[in-house]
This record gives sequence, structure tokens and C-alpha cells, in this order.
Amino acid sequence: MALFAVFQTTFLLALLPLRTYESEVLSEPLLLTPESLKVSVNSTRQRLHLQWTVHSLAYHQELKMVFQIQISRFKTSNVIWVENYRTTVKRNRVLHWSWESKLPLECAAHFIRMRSMVDDARIPKPGFWSNWSSWEEADAQNSLGHDPLLVFPKDKLVEEGSNVTICYVSRIHRDNISCYLEGVQIYGEQLDRSVSAFELKNVSFIRKRGTNVFCKVDQGGALGGIVLFVSKVLEEPKDFSCETQDLKTLTCTWDPGSDTGLSKQPSQSYTLFESFSGKKTLCKHRNWCNWQVAQDSQETYNFTLVAENYLRKRSVSILFNLTQRVHPMTPYNLFPKNVGATNATMTWKVHSIGNNSTLLCQLELLAEGKVIQQHNVSIKVNGEYLLSELEPDTEYVARVRCAYTNHFWKWSELISQKFNTAEAAPSEAPDVWRNMKMVSGHPTVSLFWKPLSKVHANGKILFYNVIVENLDKPSRLEVLSIPAPTRSTELTLDQCSYQIHVTAHNSVGPSPASVIVISGDPGNEEVESGRVNGTEDGFSVSWKPQSGDATGYVVEWCDGPQDLPCALQWKNLGPNTTSTVISSGAFRPGVRYNFRIYEISAKRMAHLLEKKAGYLEELAPSDNPQVVMSNLTSHSFTLSWKDYSTESQPGFIQGYHVYLKPKAGEQCPPAFEKTVLPEDSLCCKHTIDNPEQKTFVVENLQPESVYEFFVTAYTSVGEGPLDAFTKITTLDEYSHILIRIILPMIFCVLIVMIICYLKHQWLKEKCYPDIPDPYKSSVLSLIKSKENPHLTIMNINDCVPDAIEVINKPEGSKIQFLGTRKSLTETEFTKPAYIYLLPTEKNYSGPGPCICFENFTYNQAASDFASCGHFPVTPQAPPHQLGPLTSPENLLKALEQNYMNSLGEIPAGEANLNYVSQLASSTSGDKDSLPTNPPEPALCSEYKMQMVIPLGLASAPPSENSSLSSTTLLGQGEHYR
Amino acid sequence: MDLRAGDSWGMLACLCAVLWHLPAVPALNRTGDPGPGPSIQKTYDLTRYLEHQLRSLAGTYLNYLGPPFNEPDFNPPRLGAETLPRATVNLEVWRSLNDRLRLTQNYEAYSHLLCYLRGLNRQAATAELRRSLAHFCTSLQGLLGSIAGVMAALGYPLPQPLPGTEPTWTPGPAHSDFLQKMDDFWLLKELQTWLWRSAKDFNRLKKKMQPPAAAVTLHLEAHGF
Repeated sequence: MALFAVFQTTFLLALLPLRTYESEVLSEPLLLTPESLKVSVNSTRQRLHLQWTVHSLAYHQELKMVFQIQISRFKTSNVIWVENYRTTVKRNRVLHWSWESKLPLECAAHFIRMRSMVDDARIPKPGFWSNWSSWEEADAQNSLGHDPLLVFPKDKLVEEGSNVTICYVSRIHRDNISCYLEGVQIYGEQLDRSVSAFELKNVSFIRKRGTNVFCKVDQGGALGGIVLFVSKVLEEPKDFSCETQDLKTLTCTWDPGSDTGLSKQPSQSYTLFESFSGKKTLCKHRNWCNWQVAQDSQETYNFTLVAENYLRKRSVSILFNLTQRVHPMTPYNLFPKNVGATNATMTWKVHSIGNNSTLLCQLELLAEGKVIQQHNVSIKVNGEYLLSELEPDTEYVARVRCAYTNHFWKWSELISQKFNTAEAAPSEAPDVWRNMKMVSGHPTVSLFWKPLSKVHANGKILFYNVIVENLDKPSRLEVLSIPAPTRSTELTLDQCSYQIHVTAHNSVGPSPASVIVISGDPGNEEVESGRVNGTEDGFSVSWKPQSGDATGYVVEWCDGPQDLPCALQWKNLGPNTTSTVISSGAFRPGVRYNFRIYEISAKRMAHLLEKKAGYLEELAPSDNPQVVMSNLTSHSFTLSWKDYSTESQPGFIQGYHVYLKPKAGEQCPPAFEKTVLPEDSLCCKHTIDNPEQKTFVVENLQPESVYEFFVTAYTSVGEGPLDAFTKITTLDEYSHILIRIILPMIFCVLIVMIICYLKHQWLKEKCYPDIPDPYKSSVLSLIKSKENPHLTIMNINDCVPDAIEVINKPEGSKIQFLGTRKSLTETEFTKPAYIYLLPTEKNYSGPGPCICFENFTYNQAASDFASCGHFPVTPQAPPHQLGPLTSPENLLKALEQNYMNSLGEIPAGEANLNYVSQLASSTSGDKDSLPTNPPEPALCSEYKMQMVIPLGLASAPPSENSSLSSTTLLGQGEHYR
Repeated sequence: MDLRAGDSWGMLACLCAVLWHLPAVPALNRTGDPGPGPSIQKTYDLTRYLEHQLRSLAGTYLNYLGPPFNEPDFNPPRLGAETLPRATVNLEVWRSLNDRLRLTQNYEAYSHLLCYLRGLNRQAATAELRRSLAHFCTSLQGLLGSIAGVMAALGYPLPQPLPGTEPTWTPGPAHSDFLQKMDDFWLLKELQTWLWRSAKDFNRLKKKMQPPAAAVTLHLEAHGF
């Protein structure tokens, strides 16, 4: 009974709460208030942590509830966050919730409160919010100290690309606070009187020591700052793979990407985790890691590589079979063995992989960097292979790599070894050619040979043997040994024929001999010369075979220009060849190359077949002919340039251009045509199309004209450079005639002058005696002959001194006087005409010393007043001037003034007889000298010209047969007109 | 030219005479005590060399810290660097320092600075910077040894560090990285000032040592004892 009572009591007690709960649920809303709300601050993470409980719950009761949390900043009324937090609540269970603030918590006080509501499906009634809890303050500012300016968050670590809010708290409450990000001012938002916030968006990595943000009070000295550590974003490891070299150790490698290490955060760490074995290892290196293979023959591995830093974790996995990831180690001890001239054995070793594992090795042979042989060999540990078909004296490289035979994964690294094959005797005869010339009457042969190619030399050529054999008479063989670098020798022979053998020798032996036969005759055969055209590839030389038994042909040329020593070149060609292309790197444009084609007979003798000359590329002449000018005449001149060599020009000379510049406005000579020079001046041009014509006569020129000429050669490319023109002046047309005349004349004059000088006495007598002899006067004879053949010389002896009968002929006087002189004429008729016969010197006592010869041709009146002083009337005197002179006073005056002066100068003794040449008188009667200056000679002695007056002039001309004793000499009749 | 026996003896005698008189040649006479003069000169030269070396190192390091620390006119408050030995001193005080105190201050300053500098080296993130700092630390160690040598030559005892006062470079939890950078900045700045001051100190000492060496030595010995 007691037991029953206890059981009943317990049952009732158990039912009581349920009853209570049911009554509450069913009757009124269930209100469960959060209690014991505590707020804690994590400044580093900028998080507020809330914890609370709900005490009102029954034991073991679980309810789903929603808690509404409000967060305010600076003051409770400034709610910045509201969030409903749903969770299942148990009695006395502490609930947690945290919130991350964008703003560093040190910069502002935060207030939190919450209320709750049952949100359980088991309770059908709509819930009601409980009452708010009281505000809880979360203040991180209390522990900041007393620094005047503080910047937050301190030493924050973020990833690249994040947005970060920076704030400062100023305790000095000033407005002039500036903030800088890496020295560049930033601008933010003032949240409070002393708090400002700056939002940095998409921050980037700058340096491992972090990005500096600092604020300072302008001119205040206070400074605060933070370092923001911006980490690069951790990347997922790339190219993650694992392999083994020996099936004992796995090596995993990967590409780590960027290093995210900062001074605040170490570089990312790498951890290798194997899922089958559950083992993991922390990798010491950032891009590889070793993993020891377990002894329990695990074949499959599943590795996960985890990269991790403070902010992020990244992982990558691979799954593989161990035997499929074998990467053998590099083979070693690779050596050549038994190296011959054409073969060699290569040996090498490999590291063993496990037990009885075989490796596939690849042996490659390289020559000059190219793989020429490849062989695959399966080995366990030691490898060996015989390489054959090698070239003697050649450097080869052998290299070996190996792979795991069971499952090919990767070749091992290569191992290489150089080796040289041994030498062998040269395989080919040297290519020999000769050049023959006569030196001091002896045929001299220059032998040339080309060095053997490496393929044929089979080793280093040490020397060449030259064996000379006389074919005409048996003699001892002459052997010359020439050390190797030398490629020519000279032999002086006689007129015999010789066979010359040339062999090349290396350390093993000689080459086959090259044979050449030389006859004693140098054989300067004359063959036709042709031309050959050069192309980009060289000279295409062709020839006509002469004899059918040719064993080959040789084309010979010199590489250099003609004026340089010949570097003899030749090319051997087969017997069926009739053309070839000669190419050489030494060929230059504008250089003439001469090719000689030889035919090699069966007896190994060479005969010159053809000569060819050509240019790789013809150029215009580089210089112009030196022109000599000759045969200059008034209409032509000759130009010649004989010294101009057409052979040494940079092209085949096709002819010449003769340029001629005539004087302005003149046409070109007939052989020329007009052309325009490069400097735009007009010019005449004549083309000579024969390169051997080196003279030219420029004809049809104007005499005494300046011409300019210039001669240039031309090739198929063009003509030579335009040089300066040479000036030339053609001769005067008559100058040659003048020269022919003037010179003899000068000669004659000289002779006459010399004769005159030598015979001057005689000449004086003849031509200008002191006292002229009228008879001797040539003048007289001249006058006489031309004018009046009747004139004679008056002889004094002919005069009759007693009386002279004068027959007056008034008509004749009238005719002689005109105008004003009429009165005078009339006076003449009033007086009887007479002539005073003056006494001889002895009887003469008169006042004048003169002797007057009077006749009727003189005016009587004038004779009267003049007495012995006679005034001559100049015939040319004009009539109006004569008037005054006719008066006696005037005449006397004139006599006194003029004539007497002259008389006074004559000594008395000498003045008795003055004979004045009539010639002189006549010449002195110049019209200019009258009347004021009568000629002096006519004064002192008066010699009146006496002449026989012709009938037409004299008034009473006597007949020619009259007996007049006195004869008057008269000048030319016109004097009296 | 043939040498006879008599000639050989004569040359030997001549050689012996030369060797006998060699110690009398002033340039070769190394037996005399040169005094502390050369050591002071060497120390002076070393300070000048370190001054030059630091100029380049500080440039690199401040660039590594970033702006504003590498800006020429940056002059932050000396917040956390109070423990660094100050080189600046009143001119009259500096003039009135006796040789022993002058040398002791130098020695103690470089002892501390060297310790801080090694801490700096541990924090450097780049290998190149670590190499440069290590090289400079070695040079600074040399300077410290040189000062110790001068003090020993003048008969001064080396200052003994007090137990527990060994400077450490272990920033506290509240020490932000920005403040740490400011300390680095001040360390380099103070080091530069010290090197400049030391050059002055040793130049002054050098001038004092220039009068007849014996007299100076006596004077210093009197100080030392």
C-alpha cells in the first residue's frame, strides 16, 4: 500500500508540469525571455559575441525559437543591425551568436538587445515576441589608452580585392585631421564628433611589410597609423603530380603560384595527405614533397595536396598506380669502347628499379647536332651497343635515356658522351690544276690543289706528295713533299712532257693519286674569245667540245679583279658536260672575269678550248677617257682617247658619247643631236657605237667660237659620270691667211729698213736733199706726168735780162678777179704793164734783199705798193677777206707786223738770195693760215710761181710756140677760184 | 766582372753594417709605442665609413617600410623609441664631457643600437635586406670593438651591462606594426645621429692626442688611474 502511495504521488508530480504546459499552450501564449545576455568583443576579428540562456524552459524540453537581435552604434537609438536568429533551445543551454562589424569596434560603442519568440510547429498558436532584454554595451574603447589620435583596425590581414573600413578616434576633437593611404590622402565619412571612417575598396598587395594608413593632425604633431596587411589570394596548386624513380620514394611536385607570405603571415604551407593509408606529411618545400612508399606493397595512392594560409585553404587530389609512375634515374657511366674508324661500342649503366625490373634504353648517335642513328636496347643494369657505319675522324655524340619497361611513363634524363672515330686513309685524290708560264725561257708549272673535304680526308692531312715523271726520256722520279696547309707548288721543267702525280697523306696513309700531264710547250693557243652573261647564280659557261676523246673539262678563272694577283680557281667537269654555272662568293658586280675552258684529253693533257669574259653585273663606266684635242681649225678639231682601256672597265664598253656645248643660240653640228644633260642644260651629243674608235673629228663649227666638249664611254647600263666640259675656241677664219701675208711683209719691211739704214745718204740725196733739184724731184715728174705733161722747169739761164715784152691780156685778168677786186683790175689797165728787172746783187742798192720775178699773172697794183715786199695772195682765200688786204694801209700793216719780223731774223749776208721751193710755197698756202698768218717761207724771198697760163685761163695766152722768154709756173688752176 | 775573395768579404761587412743600422732608420722603427692616436684615427674613419654605409641602408630599409617612412620630411613623434639611447645632447654638456665619459657613452650607445639592429634584421622579410643589415651589423660590431680598443689603450674599463637591463627587441602585444615601423625609423635615425656625433667625438679626441704623444699619454693615464 505504501508502495502504491509512493508511485501515485510520483505519477501526479510527473503529470503536473505537463498539465501546466498544456494549460499554458492551450490557454495563453508561451513567453520565454532570453536571460543572462552577455556581450564580448573580439577586436582583431571585429566580432561581437553574444551568449544568453532561456531559463524558463522545462527540463528536457526543446523548443524552436527565434531571437531578434538589435545592434545600435554610438547610442541605443541608432540601430544599425536587426537579425532574427532561429535555433533550438534547451533549458539552461547557453546560446551563442556573433556578428562581424565592418567598422572596427574600437571606433564606436555598440549596444545590443534581443527578444525571443517560440517558433515551434508543435505550438499551433501564433507566437508573440517576448519583451526586449535590456541594452548591453560593447565598448572596446576603454582599453585604448590616452593617445590623442588612434587609427583602427590594427594590423588587419585581408586578401587582395577585399573592402576594408578604416576609422580613427580623435581625443583632441579637431577638424583638421587628414588621413593618408601610402602617402596619398583619403577622404571618409565622419561618424561622430571624434570618429571618422574610410572605406578602402578592392585593396591590393603592395609590400610584405604591409600597406601604411596613417592620420595626423595638421600642424599638431599627433600622428596615428595602422598597417594593413594585404595578402595575395592563395591559389590552387597547379600541375600536381607524383612519380617514383626507384619504387621506394614518391616525389610529388606542383606549381605553387603566388607567395602569400607577409611579415604578418608566413607563406602558405603545403600538406600532403594520402587517403588510403590515412597518412599525411607537412611539406618542407613550397613546390615539391617526398613520400616514403610503404613496405606493404600498396599499389594505389590517392594524394590530396592542401595549401593553407591564415585566410584560406586550397586543395587538389590525384589518384594513381605506383608502377605507372616510374621515372627512372638518369643512366650513368656512358663510355665509348673499341673506337675504330667506322664503328664504336657504347657502354652504360642504369640504377636498378626493384627486383628483376628491365629498362628500355634509347641510344642516339648525333653528328653535328643531328640525330643520325637511334637504337633501343632492353637492359637490367648494364647496357652495351655496337655503333657501326661511322665516318672516320668524325666527332659524334652518343646519348642514352631509359624508361620503365613494364609501363612507360617518362624517359629518364639524358646522359651524353662525345667521342671521335679513328682516322682512315684519304678516300679521294686531291683536285689538282696547273698554270703554265715561261720564266727565263723555261716552262714553269704552278700546281694548285684544293684541300680534301672532311668526308674524303678521313683525318688530318699532314702533307702532299708531288711526283714528277718525265715522259720523254727515262729519268729518276722527282718527289716533293709539301706540308699540309700549303695548297700550291711551282716546278721548273724543260721542254719534255711530264706526268705529275699528287697525293694527300694523313697519319694513316696516302690518298689515290691525282694525275696531270704537262707538255714542254706552254701552248699559248689562240682561241676565240666570247662573252658570258652573269646572273645572280653566277656565270653560265658553255662550250663546244672539239674532240670526242675528252675525259673531262676544266673551267679556270681568277676570283679577283684583273689588276689584283690572280687567285686561281678551277672547276673540274665530266666528259659529257658542255656547260656549267660558275659561282663564287668572291664575284663582285662591275668586275670583268675571264674564264678559260680546257679540254682534258685521254692522256691527261689540257688544251685550251675557249675563252669567255663576263661581268656578274655590268656597271656604268666609273671614269671617262682622258681626251686629247688636236688639229684645231676654224671649223673643226679632233678628239682622241687612245689610252682608254676598254678591258678594265666595269662593263663591256659599247661606244662613246661625245657631248658638245655650242655657243648660245647656235645649232648642233650635223653629226650631233640635241640632248638634255642631267643639270637641264641643252647639249649636242654624238654617239660612237664602236668601242675601238677612239678618235673623233668635230666638224662644221663656227670660226672664232667657244665650244665645250666632253667624251664619256657607255656600257649596256649607262654612260660614265658627267665630268667637267673642256672649253675650246675655234680659230679665226682669216687668221691663217693673215699669217701667210703678214709675216713675209714684215720680213720685207725689215729688209727695206735695213737697206734704208745702210743707204740713207744715197736716199737723202735722192729723196730729200738739202737743196732740192727740181730735175731730180720725183714730185715734179709725178705732176708732170699726171696733170700737165707740158710743165717744164724754168731755167734761169733762159731769161733775157734786158727786156721782156709783155703782152697784156686783160681778159685773162678779168677772169681771175671777182667781185670787189674789180677796181683793182681796172687800175691795172690804167698803167702800162711792165716788169722790173731787178739788178743783180752787186748793183742792187734797194731796200729789200729779194729778187722778184714778175709776170702778168701777178697783179700790177699789188706789185707797185709792195715794192720788193710782195704780198702773196693765197688762192684759197675767200673773196671777202681779200677786200681789206687790197688797201695799201692794210697791206703795209700786215707787212710790218708779220713779214718784217721774219726778215729781221735773217742775217743780211744770207738774205741776199732766198730761193724758196715752190713746193714749199705751195704747201704753205694752206687756207687755214690765211690771211692773218701767211706762211713764213713766202715772205723773205719771193719766188713767184711762173707758169705758162693755159689758154682757157689767161687773158692772152700765148701760143705754145710763142717766144716768151719768161715762163710762169703756176699751181693748179683751182687755187684761184 | 769577377769577384775575388777580398771583395766578398768587403760586401759582407757592408751588408752587416747596413743591418746593424736598420733599427736606427725612423721609418722602419716599429718598436716605439704609437699610443692611442692611430686607434682613434681608425675609429674616426670607421664612423665616417659607417655613416656612409648607413645612408644607403636606411634608404633601402625605409623604402621597404613604405610611405610615409621614406618621405624626406617625415618626423613622427618618438613614441616607442624612448628606450633608444639619445645622441643629441646640449653643446655645453658635450664639450664638458671628459674622455672616459665620452667614450663610455659611445660604447653603451652602440651596444644598445647593435642589439636593436639585430632585432631589425630578424624582422626583415627580404633576403637582400637581411644581407645588408647583417653586413652593417658586422661593421657596427667592428666599431664597438674599435671603441673598446681605444678605451683599453687609454686605460679605461669597459662599462659592464647591469643585469636585467639587456635591451630586447620583443614588441609587446599592444605594439602595433605601425608603431614598430616608427621604432625602426627612429632606430635608423638615432643610429645616424650617433655616427655623426661619434665622428665629432673622435675628431675631438684625435685633436687632443695630436700634441706630443708622451705628454698626452701621461695625461690620460692620470685620468685613468
